[in-house]
Amino acid sequence: MSRFSLVMFIAVLLSALYVVRTQYESRSLTTELDRATNEARRLEIENDRLDVERRAQATPVRVEKLAREQLHMRTITPAITEYATVRGGAAVAPASAEVRP
Amino acid sequence: MSSRSVQYTSSPLLASKTPIWRSQFIVAFIALGFLGLVARAAYVQVIDNAFFKRQGAVRFIRTLDLPANRGRILDRNGNILASSVPVPSIWASPEDLERDPVKLKTLAKLLGMTTAELDKKLQDEDKNFVWLKRQVDESVAKEIDALKIKGIYARKEYKRIYPEGESVAHVVGFTNVENLGQEGVELTFNKELGGKAGSRRVIKNRLGQVVEDIGEMVPPVDGRDLQLSIDSKVQYFAYEKIKETVINNKAAAGSVVVLDIKSGEILALTNYPSYVPGKRGNLSGAQLRNRALTDTFEPGSTMKPLVIGLALEKGVVKPETMIQTAPGRLQMGTATITDAHPHGLLSVNEVIQKSSNVGTVKIAMQMEPHDMWEVFTQVGLGQKPQVPFPGAVAGKVRAYKTWRPIEQATMSYGYGLSTSLFQLAQAYSVFARDGELVPMSLIKTQNSVSGARVFSVQNAAAVRHMLHMVASPGGTAMKAQTMGYSVGGKTGTAHKVEGKGYAGKKYRGFFVGIAPIDNPRIVVAVMVDEPTNGLYFGGDVAAPVFSQTVQQTLRMMGVQPDMAVKPQVISKAEKEEF
Repeated sequence: MSRFSLVMFIAVLLSALYVVRTQYESRSLTTELDRATNEARRLEIENDRLDVERRAQATPVRVEKLAREQLHMRTITPAITEYATVRGGAAVAPASAEVRP
Repeated sequence: MSSRSVQYTSSPLLASKTPIWRSQFIVAFIALGFLGLVARAAYVQVIDNAFFKRQGAVRFIRTLDLPANRGRILDRNGNILASSVPVPSIWASPEDLERDPVKLKTLAKLLGMTTAELDKKLQDEDKNFVWLKRQVDESVAKEIDALKIKGIYARKEYKRIYPEGESVAHVVGFTNVENLGQEGVELTFNKELGGKAGSRRVIKNRLGQVVEDIGEMVPPVDGRDLQLSIDSKVQYFAYEKIKETVINNKAAAGSVVVLDIKSGEILALTNYPSYVPGKRGNLSGAQLRNRALTDTFEPGSTMKPLVIGLALEKGVVKPETMIQTAPGRLQMGTATITDAHPHGLLSVNEVIQKSSNVGTVKIAMQMEPHDMWEVFTQVGLGQKPQVPFPGAVAGKVRAYKTWRPIEQATMSYGYGLSTSLFQLAQAYSVFARDGELVPMSLIKTQNSVSGARVFSVQNAAAVRHMLHMVASPGGTAMKAQTMGYSVGGKTGTAHKVEGKGYAGKKYRGFFVGIAPIDNPRIVVAVMVDEPTNGLYFGGDVAAPVFSQTVQQTLRMMGVQPDMAVKPQVISKAEKEEF
């Protein structure tokens, strides 16, 4: 009987140690997860910020200014435009559909 | 030797019998000690358990706020009109501030304030939180950080950035420092854009790292992105044109509205003077007003096509019916209605083309006030437009029962009622959509819209033909013509109302038109307020803006010109050579 008690006592002791270890692991993983989540959020915010910055570099105000001053371009008119019609009579894709990467 | 006689193995002290009470006393004492411990344990764990739990929690449980991102505002092509970016805000804890005069002087300089101003903010030493400056530049925050002043900290806050600047300022509006919408769609859609902050309870270790989550996390709900129907390129172009016109004509202000007829969307809605949303230091009310929606005026001659449309609808006249407008005057009771130039015998088409008041009144007086009122109401005059915009006004159309005959007459040529420029554009969309009125949307729509019928298809086309004549040789708005596209529209010039009467030399010139005339795609309305550089007629100040806006908008929409253009392309199929 006493041997059985001893075995049980050791089992309980080991199990308790295992609980401590698991708890510790769980905590360090939580810390890790938290850090990763924060990093993800930071990157998301950074991405938003860069999106805005990219847009700020491509506003019509800036594009027009650069096109006129640096590239000496001018506004097009129907008089200097060749209109091509796709076979079947459908019009060409509207010019305002902008491609976003 | 007496000393030798001492026996160490036995001591008389030990030999004496210990009284029993001493051991009992010790046992009782220890028992009492245990009892004390039990009592304390019971107190801690049962009686005042809540207090100790709370105290424990205060020491290691933290509630973290999970801020929600404010949604972005996008234009119809997905370009950003407004977005939030984190910026540092500087705060201080006067309680434990290191008061080094040299460092504080540098700090004041970096924050752009005087040393006295800074001292005032920091004087209350009991406080542990004072904002020094909110939303500073990243570089400034870094320099402040480099000073390493104890008690000065930075915190991340969200700031709204508006890359498009002034052209779209009135539509988008702005938020305050707490990220709450104050104007424009930022205000109207504040709730949807704002989202809902979440929270999370955690255990932190002594290093400040999160080690365990407690309970359920409330995830933050990010604000919804809002996609407007505005096309930032059309908007920009219209803004530049109206700005140029207002400056050249020494006018007080101007507005442009561009509507997409097919989809019922607002492509552009812009006003000058405007403001840069990021720099709102000294804003005046004049800059802040979204005039196209909040300012009303008497629509003048632009009402005539509606009255003629109704007359066609009721069978009172046909486009070719001849009306005698000579001698250019019409007596109604004590009042006289006059034309700017006497015209003689005109067809209904020409009444619109020449903008004859006498002709219009003669036709209008053959109709019931109720019918006129009904058409005005059906096209949206006197009613608040269904656009999600703070401060949009309804304009004024009085109940038909109170109309006196002279009022019915003046209303037929646009005096005695008022409308905003947006309402005027919307009213003209009826002609452009073959007689249907569709609600105009400021939000991008996917579905095709259907509207309420006001005029028949034939009558709408007949009025469009008249509007085309206005912009053709012999009409009042030749300057509305644009290369490649057929246009039609109506000019209007109104005396400004001041106090109780009309202001002597203050005018408002406007133009509302449709293009291309046979298969309409857009309606453009232009208003120039108080031009003072000689020209003030709508056909002179507003029509040129219309012409350029139509040209660029249709080009950007990929609409093929419907009129022959003399090509200026010199060589077509020649190969390029080096």
